[in-house]
Amino acid sequence: MMLLGRRIQVEQRMAVPKSAVVIVPVVSVIFALVVGGVFLALTGHPPIRTYLDLLNNGYTSFYGITDTLGLATPLICTGLAAAFAFRMNLYSIGQEGQMYLGMIGGTWAGIVLADSLPPLIAVPSVLVFGALAGAAWIAVPALLRARLGTSEIVSTLLLNYVALNLVNFFIFGSTGFFRDPTTSFPQGRAVAESARLSPLSLFTEKVTNTYPTLFVAVSLAVLLFWFMRVSNYGYETAVYADSPNTARYAGMNSAWLQSSVLLVSGALAGVGGAMYVVGPAGKVDPGLLQVGLGYAGIVVAALARYNFLAVVLAAVLFAGLRTGGNALQVSNDPVPIAIAVVLQGAVLLFALGGELFRRNKVTLVRVQSATT
Amino acid sequence: MKRRKVIAAAFAAAAMIVAAACGGDDAAEEVTEEVTEDTEAPAATVPAEDYSMVKAAVVYITTPGDLGWSYMHDLGIAYMEEQLGIEVTRLELIPEGAEATAVYDKLARDGYNLILGTSFGYMDPMLEVAAKYPNVCFQHASGYKNAENMGNYFGAMEEARYLSGIAAGAASTSGKLGYVAAFPIPEVLRGINAFTLGARSVNPKATVQVAWTSTWYDPAKEKEAAESLLATGADVLGMHQDSSATGEAAKKAGAKWVGYNSDVRAKDFPDTWLTGPVWNWGPHYVKLGKDVAAGICDNSPYYGTMADGMITLGVFGSSVSQETQDLIATKAAAIIDGSLLPFTGPIKDNEGKEQIAAGASAALGDLLGQSYLVEGVIGSAKG
Repeated sequence: MMLLGRRIQVEQRMAVPKSAVVIVPVVSVIFALVVGGVFLALTGHPPIRTYLDLLNNGYTSFYGITDTLGLATPLICTGLAAAFAFRMNLYSIGQEGQMYLGMIGGTWAGIVLADSLPPLIAVPSVLVFGALAGAAWIAVPALLRARLGTSEIVSTLLLNYVALNLVNFFIFGSTGFFRDPTTSFPQGRAVAESARLSPLSLFTEKVTNTYPTLFVAVSLAVLLFWFMRVSNYGYETAVYADSPNTARYAGMNSAWLQSSVLLVSGALAGVGGAMYVVGPAGKVDPGLLQVGLGYAGIVVAALARYNFLAVVLAAVLFAGLRTGGNALQVSNDPVPIAIAVVLQGAVLLFALGGELFRRNKVTLVRVQSATT
Repeated sequence: MKRRKVIAAAFAAAAMIVAAACGGDDAAEEVTEEVTEDTEAPAATVPAEDYSMVKAAVVYITTPGDLGWSYMHDLGIAYMEEQLGIEVTRLELIPEGAEATAVYDKLARDGYNLILGTSFGYMDPMLEVAAKYPNVCFQHASGYKNAENMGNYFGAMEEARYLSGIAAGAASTSGKLGYVAAFPIPEVLRGINAFTLGARSVNPKATVQVAWTSTWYDPAKEKEAAESLLATGADVLGMHQDSSATGEAAKKAGAKWVGYNSDVRAKDFPDTWLTGPVWNWGPHYVKLGKDVAAGICDNSPYYGTMADGMITLGVFGSSVSQETQDLIATKAAAIIDGSLLPFTGPIKDNEGKEQIAAGASAALGDLLGQSYLVEGVIGSAKG
């Protein structure tokens, strides 16, 4: 008797065709929009108009794109932080906590150092101290990883919770240094004016919510992209990522590579938090805790396939879904936030899921099994 | 090609299940999926005047589905819609910080002339945006900063908390009460203190153990905190949180509990619900709308009371004796006519220091900045 069946066969592609690099993401997003559209139609919201609204509020209108770029700025940093570690097969998921520490370290510098400094020095020093604090927060996991091989996934994740509680303690639980001494309400102490940047504006009257730190974030992405291509360090990390044993045979110092990559990753996330200080917040602000830009950085890095330049685009895509999604609640036919969140999730999940089709050839094959 | 599409579709279906979780990290977002959108107000009454020039929007930190803080604001907004014959735009789940700034900016740009924010952390974003749009009226709940075109509003919840403490103190046999609290800020400390003073007015040896959660809304954490209090022997719980998770934990342990924000869930706890201090925002929202129609943006701080109806005490549960209910009614009347001020000395803090001298009463300014816990509270005012 012959049994005929079908099964899904997943084969890794030997070489990824050039066309797949473009087609897969585009098709993924189209699929997401179709599925989201069905969902919208079922809940009584015209899909096309909702999508145009989302596009307008998140990307194409002047204030839409500037709001998005403002939100994307720290997200680029956490995305770079994740991408930098993931390329080395180091799965640090501590960007969230490192970002809080960057906010704390940057605020410290902004209060203590910045008062006597001109903005040209004060602002960079806030960013540098943010980076140092972010790196310090990952130092122990990095050391444990390099020396003892302890999983960085668990140690970095757990430190996120510690960092969250640290921010809560500084603002809600203590009357310490970071808390505004002029009020009994839980507020952060503001950094010196010289440590703040003004938002960008067009012809002075159109004030946006984008800060000049955007250029710093983009420059970091370009710098990393270039440096990791041309430098010896970039080469060594690439070899190590491919095969740790080969790297060791070639005499590369794996402990140094692992710990330095993690430290740089932490510093990048820390800069993201410090950008929040010189930009919109100007203090240790527990509001940052609600946005989850650190965890979002992991999604951004994955969307960008760990490519530093693509991180910028992925961060803008992600941030636009947030600002556009929030704004969908403001219209004549408001779309509830729950539906906006589903749309965001669909786009991100499909874009990530597309990776399966880019790396692998997926086919349905006929299975013949003969039994006697 | 066709086959691949089938697989992709299958993947799509699986993906949708987890899609929501991917969109954000806030626990509240998961809850939104279940929220029914029943916030449209019935246009039952026809308003006498035309208020269509009032374009109002309100921003919530959670969703009205929390059946707590945002839910009560939403009832108030629905009342405003009904009274003024307008439709109010609602935004839910807007995180504090930069995202809130963008949202307030957009509302002002889009021509809204009355913009309400109901979370403490919206204060600075609103202040920043208010400076950019002098013709838009901003109103912020629970904060303290104001501007030419930004006012704030809040209420003396401590009055009703004191009364609910009487119910809690009377219900406790062990004399051990518990209190699940969000953050050690003046508003919350004041509530714990009023609750404790009320409880000790009928049960002088009662103590109130505090468990901090560091969150306004996280049912899992709230429940854990409540369970830890029950484990220490507390037989009545109070709380200052946005969900009713404390009640769920108390019910499981057979303990009584006092709610907060609303009493809409009282019926789900027929035996264990005592009562709960309740917000009533509607009349103030109507006033703010009428102000804007008259070209006014009232930027003076508004502090509602039981006397003006912003604060009430919710329904009683079946286990609250008639005697206790009568006592509370008498005290409530005294609070309303001003003859009873819960924060009247001598009041010592729980470190033994006298905070309010015998015969003196705390001034409103002192109440708003209260940073200690009264005698009888077990816990630290520093969290």
